[in-house]
Amino acid sequence: MASLFRSGLRLARNFGTKATVLGSHSSITRYSIPSCAKYSTDVSETSSGIIQPTEQIPAVRVSPEIARQKLVEYGNFVSECLPKFVQQVQITHTNELELLVDPEYIVQVISFLKDNALSQFTNLSDITVVDVPTRPCRFELVYNLLSLAYNQRIRVKSYTDELTAVDSIVEIHEGANWYEREIWDMFGVFFKNHPDLRRILTDYGFDGHPFRKDFPLSGYYEVRYDDETERIVREPLEMAQEFRKFDLTSPWEAFPKYRKPAELPPPPTETEDKK
Amino acid sequence: MASKISTGLVGLAVEANPRQKLNILYNSILSVVSKIPATASYRKYTEEFANQQLKKLDTIKDDVQLEIDLGPGQFEEVIYNAKAELRLARKMISWKPWEGLVVQPPPGQWDWP
Repeated sequence: MASLFRSGLRLARNFGTKATVLGSHSSITRYSIPSCAKYSTDVSETSSGIIQPTEQIPAVRVSPEIARQKLVEYGNFVSECLPKFVQQVQITHTNELELLVDPEYIVQVISFLKDNALSQFTNLSDITVVDVPTRPCRFELVYNLLSLAYNQRIRVKSYTDELTAVDSIVEIHEGANWYEREIWDMFGVFFKNHPDLRRILTDYGFDGHPFRKDFPLSGYYEVRYDDETERIVREPLEMAQEFRKFDLTSPWEAFPKYRKPAELPPPPTETEDKK
Repeated sequence: MASKISTGLVGLAVEANPRQKLNILYNSILSVVSKIPATASYRKYTEEFANQQLKKLDTIKDDVQLEIDLGPGQFEEVIYNAKAELRLARKMISWKPWEGLVVQPPPGQWDWP
């Protein structure tokens, strides 16, 4: 059915019968004025508190409440259209929409976001990975997209572990080429159907994936010029001082809203044959 | 639009017959989308969108006003977007996204922090 919403970020289900559009008009001249969310549907619809820019008044920034409401409606629209692909939809407190997606269907979701006339997320801003080693699927893939037509951003998140490959989106967004190479180099996430997946930032014979959380800060090898052999040599790391780790956690609780209840063992049950 | 000389966008040539092209495109979107089950939200929203655009094409006679009303951008951009939507609609028939969620994420996957 429709994707799940977190209780703390519960999205309203009050979308109307009109397909919601994170609308903005570009003017018909070639120098289109970038504007924030304006509705481009029927002329009879009210602008719901959004002031259209004219030559005298520049585009006024949309208030956060209205911007959030529009994103909420759009998030509902996407989750309604793609219930098979989208596991959750959430919106951050800074009004950033995130779609949490099944990794099998990343290509489909990004294709939808690019081609759909009401979305038009044609610009791929970034692809990254967040490594959270405590999770079973430790790598959280993050795709950031921008819609130039509607001046909105969206984030598509998925997950994978060290051994599972993920489909490349290079066929949809050409710009994903180097981003995916970087992810392969730095994290070790393999992309199927990538035209040219090889290292991009590490040295030529480098072993390992540096951005993983279990890779040490200083690395394993050091490189220096050796006078005798007159070439660069790579040797295991030798540090003059051992690595100092500072525990910077504050004595006060950081996230009171995300407090997990302490897991106590279940109380001992009184059995009848207890003597 | 007899008066338009250039779109101002590299690689996008001026359309001589935008109304006709858009008519054809939106009608073919409607025919492709009709193959999806009627309960699917994608079909509902896409039909609504296409019908809205067709209605504007029929009612608004002035070309300048139509270009403003039809959607973000010039006619050529709207045609490009309609073609993209048509491609997407064809793919959606094979993807079948209206079926419910099949794979649940692993437990604790989306917990934060």
